[in-house]
Amino acid sequence: MIVFNAFKKILWSNKVMIIIYTLILVLFAGFNSTDDKSQMNFSATKPDILIINHDKDGDISKSLIEYIGNNSNLVDLENDDKKIADALFFREINYAIFIPSSFSEDFENGKNPKIEIKSSKDYNSSLAELILKNYLSTASIYRKEFKGQELVDIIEKTLSNSIEIGMTNKLDTKKLSELADYYNFANYSLLAGCVFVICMILTSFKNANIEKRTIVSSINYKKFNRQLLLSNALFAFSLWLIYIILSIILIGKSMLTVHGLLFAINSLIFSMCTLTIAFLIANAIKNKEAINGIVNVVALGSSFLSGTFVPTEYLPDGVLKIARILPSYYYIDNNNLIKSLEKFDFKNLYPLIMNTVIIIAFALIFMAITNFLSKKNRKKARL
Amino acid sequence: MFLHNFKYTFKTLFKNKSLIFWTFAFPIILGTLFHMAFSDIESSEKLHTIKIAIIGDSITEEKKHYDTFLSSITITEEEKLFEINYTDEKVAKKLLDDGDIKAIVDLSDKTKITVKTSGIEETIISQILNDFQKKEFMITTLLENKVKDENFDYANIDSIYQQLALEVSNSNYLNIEDTSQKSMSYTVIEFYTLIAMACLYGGTLGLTAINKGLANMSSLGKRTSVSPTRKIKIVISSALASFIISLIGLALLFLYTIFVLKVDYGTDITSVIILACIGSFAGLTFGIAIASVLKTSEITKTGIMISVTMLGCFLSGMMGITMKYIVDKNIPILNMINPANMITDGFYSLYYYETRERFYYNIISLLIFSLIMILLSVNSLRRQRYDSI
Amino acid sequence: MGNILEIINLTKEYKGIKAVDGLSFEVKEGEILGLLGPNGSGKSTTINCILSLLTYQKGIIKIFGEDMEPNSYDIKEKIGVVFQDVAVFDELTVEENIDYFCGLYISNKDTRKRYVDEAIELVNLKEFKKFHPKQLSGGLLRRLNIACGIAHKPKLIFLDEPTVAVDPQSRNSILDGIKRLNKDGATIIYTTHYMEEVEILCNRIIILDKGKILASGTSAELKALANIEEKVTVEVESFSKNQLAEIRKFTTVEEAEYKDNNLTVIYKKGKNNLDKLLDFLKKENVHYNSIFAERPTLNDVFLELTGKDLRD
Repeated sequence: MIVFNAFKKILWSNKVMIIIYTLILVLFAGFNSTDDKSQMNFSATKPDILIINHDKDGDISKSLIEYIGNNSNLVDLENDDKKIADALFFREINYAIFIPSSFSEDFENGKNPKIEIKSSKDYNSSLAELILKNYLSTASIYRKEFKGQELVDIIEKTLSNSIEIGMTNKLDTKKLSELADYYNFANYSLLAGCVFVICMILTSFKNANIEKRTIVSSINYKKFNRQLLLSNALFAFSLWLIYIILSIILIGKSMLTVHGLLFAINSLIFSMCTLTIAFLIANAIKNKEAINGIVNVVALGSSFLSGTFVPTEYLPDGVLKIARILPSYYYIDNNNLIKSLEKFDFKNLYPLIMNTVIIIAFALIFMAITNFLSKKNRKKARL
Repeated sequence: MFLHNFKYTFKTLFKNKSLIFWTFAFPIILGTLFHMAFSDIESSEKLHTIKIAIIGDSITEEKKHYDTFLSSITITEEEKLFEINYTDEKVAKKLLDDGDIKAIVDLSDKTKITVKTSGIEETIISQILNDFQKKEFMITTLLENKVKDENFDYANIDSIYQQLALEVSNSNYLNIEDTSQKSMSYTVIEFYTLIAMACLYGGTLGLTAINKGLANMSSLGKRTSVSPTRKIKIVISSALASFIISLIGLALLFLYTIFVLKVDYGTDITSVIILACIGSFAGLTFGIAIASVLKTSEITKTGIMISVTMLGCFLSGMMGITMKYIVDKNIPILNMINPANMITDGFYSLYYYETRERFYYNIISLLIFSLIMILLSVNSLRRQRYDSI
Repeated sequence: MGNILEIINLTKEYKGIKAVDGLSFEVKEGEILGLLGPNGSGKSTTINCILSLLTYQKGIIKIFGEDMEPNSYDIKEKIGVVFQDVAVFDELTVEENIDYFCGLYISNKDTRKRYVDEAIELVNLKEFKKFHPKQLSGGLLRRLNIACGIAHKPKLIFLDEPTVAVDPQSRNSILDGIKRLNKDGATIIYTTHYMEEVEILCNRIIILDKGKILASGTSAELKALANIEEKVTVEVESFSKNQLAEIRKFTTVEEAEYKDNNLTVIYKKGKNNLDKLLDFLKKENVHYNSIFAERPTLNDVFLELTGKDLRD
């Protein structure tokens, strides 16, 4: 009880930091799940396009906008250069199209009126350009043969003639992606918040004077260590539980499925692994002030390298190879596997189990090193 | 006394390993991590070869040209867009399930594509096939239309068809003008948040230095308080020493990011330097405010300073660039009071904008922020007697 | 000899608790005044009030005949303080630390150099000049802490428990140093809860409890307050209740007790107490191993005044 009470006291004095790292996770999850549409049928990746139409009454313009609207997400923005520039830079829109006045009339008369565009110069903007050019090239061929409503009709008929696409995956990928993103991000919150706090607690207990006092105190060393471990495990477990509850609140009931259960198990195992990381750091580092630095490097380093902030598919192969030495890599790989898991048979679960075994192995290795270090330290303290 | 305290503050701060870590080493380590993580993100937005399967039996005489077409598309001269695996339906399904291919193309009677999930590469396949089918439809439509004409020259139907086909496949609307700016590399934001972080972390120096001058915060502070040196001299000389050290750290970070990581800060170097200095000043005042207002241990104060800075950097895009845009657009107030964003946004406006209004707006915001921090600290700094220590 | 420090009716209340309650005393030039009291008796609070670090509700504080205020820089120049907590920069060496704090008082570089050297010598840290505080043992650290507070040769020195958790060797060195400072002309105010120290060191002692003065005077004057003259402890293997009753009948005996093979007898004033006791033991054929005779200590005085131990 003595250990536990002291534990609570130190924990309380570090509450601000726990709250901030949790807040970061909540904000991330909150902003990440802005719309609620679920996705179970194939939908082409749609670029985000802004159309500024100065040809309000033109039939061709209307038809063009309708076609673009069917194949992209039309974004509504003020016609303000700065806002459009910002939106393009941060990929809120990939493409902006400015339709000049009397475009439809000029176009039908065989002229080629100038269309101004702005692009974010990435893949999605090329897709947007493809959509725009698709319509315009089709229209410019038909305009020699057809006029007026007939022209619009034939264009629309031509463009609506599309190939049938089937999708084998019956998962609600959008919700599962959100969950995977949330748990991937939790990697950072757990490493930064949980490890930091546990390190602070452990170093406070280890503080030279206190250590001497505990070595000679009536509670024997093993019992003391056990109580300390238990208190910390309880803390890590509570934090994990809070994250789980938060995920249910923020993302919803898709957490209450088998997928959700797998996410929860995976993060539980990982949070126990972070516990061993914390013990290792606290035992290896003497200087209390250095801990903050080490924890941040460990947290941000593993988060950036193993795909917490930048999805793994965008990370260079070299980085991913380095990341294999980090437990975070396997944790995040598991989240990504769970996201696209369709059948829960052994063949599909096998890679998940392997990753879990690796995470547990990491935890055991960290524990072994910690034991070795603390034995060495205790011998030193006795001398 | 001013110089005496300045000299010793400088010395103690420089010898404080954890502070030097935060202000010198940490931003450089983080910058290197960014560089590693983001080096590919923009180039991966370009096209790569996509693996697909075509069900071999479905390639009939009428559909042969689909196959010819798909295998003829290239990304560059050597690189083909599609790597095609001709197989039967069962094998193809398995390949798709295992993620070895992205799509199955079935050409029997109606062309059909099967994919596993929605995605960019899946979209490319469907776009290309759609376009091909559309052009075929157009040629037929145009030909039908011509046939309606009484004077249609049936003898030359083949050459008319060829001509239409040529016309359709070459059709391109040429008058599209791209007026967007050239600088579009949005990963620079990451490095701007890094500078913002370094500026604010510089505040931990001020935090430590001031903490040691306050009697109610540390026993060192009691010592200085009972000495005949005026408090204002101690506070200002300590703050100045911290400021100079954090500028040295910042200079090193700039050199590293410019020459090693090749980060682009735009062309207006003077403005970049002004922004960095004012940002660093804001960090200093922030640190002083935390030191003088919060009553807790120095380590906890540093911890709070660091985690608040992390939160600020998160909101200005450090852990995902779009976060900055989302916050700017939906909860602008959050980033208006966020010093990390003022600095990040200042650099962004220098890099991306041609006008300077947004830059000045950020500079003024930072100055107001600093002023508020100073006002918050003044009350506590001016106190000489405390209720308890 | 004039009063260097004068305190009249000092009262400090914080969160409803009176930490210092109507305290008045003065310190004469050349004195070593001991403020003795258990932890929490208001010693440090009193010092912090005198130094203008704490607010207080009532009272007048005069140092060198002038009112002490936070801006009394002339007064501050002439006083030196050694606080209870070790307050030094970990990043600076022993010498640099002393130079830094001395520099807050003395701007002339040459004078300062001389003063720093003298302070180092006073606390015997010469061979540790280039060491960093982290490399010093607890006792050495305390000595550095003292050197930092007194290097500028103040006329009035406050030492707030400078020997807490210090090994005996360092403690002696510290006490010697304080005596030397006093001999060189400094007036000293010394707080502690170690009664032995004040007995060795101080000309005058004030015993504090709950923010009030319980008693003051020289060591001998204070001891006279205690109602005992001598305490004798005899180690005996067995002692009967009747025998104990016999002893209690002795005229000078105040109290007698037998517990854990120890017979303790407390005497009022009187002569030949020990002889009588030994005679009695011989007569009764009681075999004894060892005998201690103790004079009253300040702890006994404190016990007498408050009913509790100094070190509770």
